[in-house]
Amino acid sequence: MSVPNNLKYSKDHEWVQINDNIATVGITLHAAESLGDIVYVDVDSMDKELNQFDKFGEIESVKAVSDLYVPLSGKVIEVNENLLNNPEFVNEDCYEKGWIIKLEIKNKADQDQLLDSEEYKKII
Amino acid sequence: MKKTIFYNKHKNLDAKLVDFAGWEMPINYPAGIIKESGFVRDSCGMFDVSHMGRVEVIGKNATKFIDKLLPVDVNAINVSAAKYTLLINENKEILDDLIIYKISEEKYLLVINASNTDEDLIWINKVKEDVNIINITDKTGMLAIQGPEALEKINLLSNDAIADLGRYKYKEIKIQGMNIFVARTGYTGEDGVEIIFNNNDAEKIWELLSEKNVHPCGLGARDLLRVEAGLHLYGHEIDKKSNPIDIGLGRVLESKSPFYINHEYITGIDIKSGTETLIGLIIKDRGIAREGNEIYINNKIIGRVTSGTHSPRIKSAIAIGKIDKNFNNIKNTVKIKVRDKFLEAEITKLPFYRRRKK
Repeated sequence: MSVPNNLKYSKDHEWVQINDNIATVGITLHAAESLGDIVYVDVDSMDKELNQFDKFGEIESVKAVSDLYVPLSGKVIEVNENLLNNPEFVNEDCYEKGWIIKLEIKNKADQDQLLDSEEYKKII
Repeated sequence: MKKTIFYNKHKNLDAKLVDFAGWEMPINYPAGIIKESGFVRDSCGMFDVSHMGRVEVIGKNATKFIDKLLPVDVNAINVSAAKYTLLINENKEILDDLIIYKISEEKYLLVINASNTDEDLIWINKVKEDVNIINITDKTGMLAIQGPEALEKINLLSNDAIADLGRYKYKEIKIQGMNIFVARTGYTGEDGVEIIFNNNDAEKIWELLSEKNVHPCGLGARDLLRVEAGLHLYGHEIDKKSNPIDIGLGRVLESKSPFYINHEYITGIDIKSGTETLIGLIIKDRGIAREGNEIYINNKIIGRVTSGTHSPRIKSAIAIGKIDKNFNNIKNTVKIKVRDKFLEAEITKLPFYRRRKK
């Protein structure tokens, strides 16, 4: 299963790509496959300051609904508007087209709480 | 967990397997629930439904026993016909919904829900009189082949053996020497058949259908399709305490026989004084309403959701709900409590989807 090694991972199955002080966040292929066909992605935290592992939205498939958590503390500065109208992007391409939010990182040290790709592979 | 004769097929196709009524069943294949539901609406899909109970009632007094057991008009069912009906016990509890097939005056086949098979058999055996009740579930396999191309595919494989098969009729046909029971029934709102065969022939039949581009579909798609078609699922729209008339199944209570176990109940006054009704709900907000969610009008609970899903045909979330009869006004707008949110929904008539007649 695809677990890119340039990303960091949370135990809740979010991935995060860090560029300077901006983090792009999505859910992993493992999470997307477990949920099945995604029909809604909702983010209710635009412009909000969140602590690491706070809920930032919900993702819903035909079968189930799941909360989304920020892998790092920070402010939600962008939502993938394209994804809100095309939630199937998560199933088609969860690491590129299926990104969900961008965060302005508050505390870089939060990364220590995350897993690298090798560590993440062990928990899935 | 129990496995059907097709378990290895599901495994090899990389299906996601789940526990369904004690059976390890495919919820979906890699195509996913939405695409699989599309196969059935647009062309043809097949479902492993071998977990469903198949029970024969055999004996000289079989017809007399069916007259006692089920609310069907037993004289109106011809050999080669099928009928949807309810199994109700002496306490007026609905144990199951099922399809009965009349094989002869001395033989009937009942196809019952996997989740209820054990309890149904206990009850049937308790009231049986001078008939043999034979559970053939483990000896046979069963597939539902559904979609606008389903009949054509079976005809291609069988030299047009079912070209003249009417709705709710069955036929015993041969495909490459294999004996196959083919009934023009289904649970998707689409045309199609359900077939029963010996375990020994299961693999060959699966292969033949695959070669004809019949796509495997899982229980997830089956549930989505039946909700779109407004069809009841036991444990959701139907339970022990349901009043058949309330849930729109008054029409199946056809028996006028004084020998039917619940003759007094189905001809009496109580059954007509139900207070609830089933409705369709189209969700206007984002999110799926699911079983158990409360339905509100003006901050007052008027009922609950019995089944919910997302419909690619309606292009929104849809649900079936059971509500207080007094609020059953089409175009009534309701609120459904989903976790911490209230989703707006519109009451509509069932079904959500009706197939185009050819």
